[in-house]
Order: sequence, then structure tokens, then C-alpha cells
Amino acid sequence: MPKNNFVFLTFLMILSISLMPFMEFRALAQANNPVSSETVLDTSSETDTDEEEDGFDAEFEDEFGDAEKEVFDPLSGYNSVMTGFNDGFYIYVLDPVARGYRWVLPDTARRGVKSFFHNLLFPLRFVNNALQLKVKNAGDEFLRFSINSTIGILGIWDPAKEWFGLEAHEEDFGQTLGFYGVGGGFHVVLPFLGPSNVRDMFSLYPDMQMDPVNYVETRPYNFPKQEGESLGVSRQTLQQTELTLLKTINRESLRIGQYENLKKDAIELYPFLRDVYEQNRAKLIRE
Amino acid sequence: MQTAKKIIINVFLLSILSFFYGSNDLFADEASEIKEMTSVRFVQKLFQDGNVKSERGNVGDAVIYGLESLIDFNLMAKLCLGKKHWKRLSKEGRVEFAQLLVERLKQSYLDKLDLYTDEEVEVVEARKTGKNRVEILTNIVGIDTKLEMVFKFYKSKNKGWMVYDAVILGVSIVQTYRSQFSGILKKESLEKLIERLRSSTELGS
Repeated sequence: MPKNNFVFLTFLMILSISLMPFMEFRALAQANNPVSSETVLDTSSETDTDEEEDGFDAEFEDEFGDAEKEVFDPLSGYNSVMTGFNDGFYIYVLDPVARGYRWVLPDTARRGVKSFFHNLLFPLRFVNNALQLKVKNAGDEFLRFSINSTIGILGIWDPAKEWFGLEAHEEDFGQTLGFYGVGGGFHVVLPFLGPSNVRDMFSLYPDMQMDPVNYVETRPYNFPKQEGESLGVSRQTLQQTELTLLKTINRESLRIGQYENLKKDAIELYPFLRDVYEQNRAKLIRE
Repeated sequence: MQTAKKIIINVFLLSILSFFYGSNDLFADEASEIKEMTSVRFVQKLFQDGNVKSERGNVGDAVIYGLESLIDFNLMAKLCLGKKHWKRLSKEGRVEFAQLLVERLKQSYLDKLDLYTDEEVEVVEARKTGKNRVEILTNIVGIDTKLEMVFKFYKSKNKGWMVYDAVILGVSIVQTYRSQFSGILKKESLEKLIERLRSSTELGS
């Protein structure tokens, strides 16, 4: 019995922690505009007119939940400015560079680069699958890494999927936290990296620790002498930055046009991207 | 024996009838309808493979014409705004709002199709999510990408199964518009929102 109690208490604690943000903004919303609750009452007392014609509206309304739900967004001012900056950076810098890169390198080569970096991220996926007790997925990842690093020649090719039908299972630390009921907290837009929230922002650190790109060592025979050294930047940082740049440009070159396409559904960019991010993360955590 | 024979004949006649009724199939039962919806041929209608890539304009119109028999853009527009705000609109306002948003939704859908012409569509499963509701889960599979897309259908009285929402990688089109609109309408009037839609549609086309 005491053991059961303990389990139940832990469950209650996790539940209350994950519900905390909701309670917070509900209280805030009520404090901020008591008028809105009145108007809600107002419309509900109204008689339904031609809405009921097809009889579906009420059901559909319930399905999409409360659109009036207030989003707790203390950083909204900063966030929308940063979204503007990131948007400009993407359109005027990253996208043109990625297009140039696409023009220079053939498709196959770029896919190879992408697979190579993806394969390197094996520790991240393995650990987080394991932490979420997704044993089969973790096993798949382990097999994938073994196969792709050897037969797939350092991961530039993906025989694990093509021959053995082993799919990758993307997981990161933010998803692991979400899996155990940690709420996202408020939304934060990071410079260059884009939409995030409190939980995912703090998860970036453990994620980075598991990315081998950040472990590139300074060895004289690793790379030829770098220009930036004279600027006082350490060789290691320089090499890491270069690798990250390559990784980013390569990734973007394979999905040119997608961001612009997504943006077409936006009336106001920041709230739109925030919503897209949170919906997508919620789905990834659910899986 | 006689009755059994009668039943068999009736069933046979009914199945022939339902065959002739084609898309309206009044007699087919729901299970087989849903099964039909998971066929690649059916789902392909939603993607209109190959046609889109060529030219805009006429081809786009033709595609949209095909899509309109499957996607209930009007209902989507309604849902995007939400019942509360929809009620506040006048009759003319509703018509205009629906027109503007439907135009936008169509364009956005066409653009999405444009982007995924080299990919193949794979139907994973159909899920019955409620009375008169079915979700079709599809994957858009590229060389090394996989995009999950869910189409939500409802059964309308006279047009059969119609899409009322599409969810791409967990992001629902209707939901996204709903939260955008409700956010904007906290700060601005409904008229101003329509004005905004009007100008952005003009810019887009």
C-alpha cells in the first residue's frame, strides 16, 4: 500500500506541475479583461439563428476547443521583434546562400552531407529514446548507427532504412521532458535558432552535449591553419562554427521554399509561428 | 430457402444500384466507404498529382474545381473564424469573409501541392473518430523525408465525405487560423480584420 501511495503522490505532483502554466494564465486572463468573460456569456444567451442549418457547427466548435484561450506570453514584445529579425535573416542571408549552395553541389552530395550529420546525432536520439523507455526505438537507433556508420560509409548513406527498413526515431531532451509531463512554459524566440519555449530552450544544453560536432578537438593535424586565429578566436570555436554553418546551409538547401510556403498562412507572423511551433512540438511529444 | 434467395437477389440489385450511383453511393455501408477512402486513387484526388506543376491559372482552376468536391472550404472558413465571431458578422459580411478566406485557403493549399510534386503519397490508415467523422492518415514520402498529413473528413448530407481540416506534422490549418484570428480580434475590430484579409489577398494574387 505505501508504495502505491508513493506512486500516486508522484503522479499528482507531475500533474500539478504540468498544469501550473494553465492555472497561471487563466488567473491572468481574468485579471486582465473581466469584460471578455461577460461577452462570452452574452453570446451564449443569444438564440441560434441560421447556424444550425447544417447542424454541424456545435460539434465542430467543441472539436477545435476554445479559441479564446489566453496564451501566457510575457515576452511577446521581444519575441515578435526577434521573429522579424530571424525572418529577415532567413530571407536575405540564409536563403540566398542556401540557393547558391544548392546550385554548386548536386542533390546526392547534399543528401550525403545531411545523412552524415544526422548519423552523428545518434547519441542524442539513442539516449532520449532510452530515457522515454522506448526500448524498441532505442534498439532501432543503435542498429541504424552500427549499419550506417559501417556499410553506409560514415553515415553518408542510409542502408539501414533502404535495406533493413529501420526508420530513425527523432527525439530530443525537450521531448523527453514533455513525455514526463513538463509543460513548455512561455514561448521564447531565439536569435537565429527560431521559435522555442522555456523547456526546449533549457534542453538545448543537454542536446548540444550529445552532438559530436561540439567535440571537435584542436589538433594540429585536424585542419589546416585557420584564418580566424589571429582574431583571437580559438581554433576549436572556429571549427565548430564552420561545421554548424555547413550543417545549417546544407539542411536549408534541401528544403528551399518551405518556409516561404508556410508563411503564406500567416496574417501576423509571430503569433502564427508560435502556434505552429507549439502544435508541432505537442504532436512530437505525444508520439 | 426462398427468402434467402430473395435476400441475395436484393443485395445483388442494391450493389448494382449503388455502383451506378457512383460517388453518392447511398446504399454502400459506411465501412466500405471508409475503406474506399483509404485507396490511393481516392487520396490522390486530394493531391492532384502532376497537374499542378505545369502552369498556374487555368490548370490551378481545374485542380481547384476537382478539390471543391472533396474539400469543404466554406466550412473551413467558418471554423477558422469560430462561432462567436461568425455570429457577429452580418449576412453580407459572412459572404465576404468566407470568399476572402476560401480564396486564401485554396491558394495556400495549391502552393503546398506545388512543393510536393516529386513526393509520393502513402495512405497509412483510416480512423473513425466519431459519428460521421473519419481521419485519413497519409505520409508524403520523398527520398529521405517523410511528412505526415492527416485529412479530417465529415459526412455531409448531400455531398458525401468532405474534408474540413488538414493537419500537417501536427499543425492543423483550421486551428492555426483560429488562434490567429482570435488573437487579432482581441486588439482589432472585425471590420479591420476583413480589410486586412482583403488587402493581403489582392497582394497575393
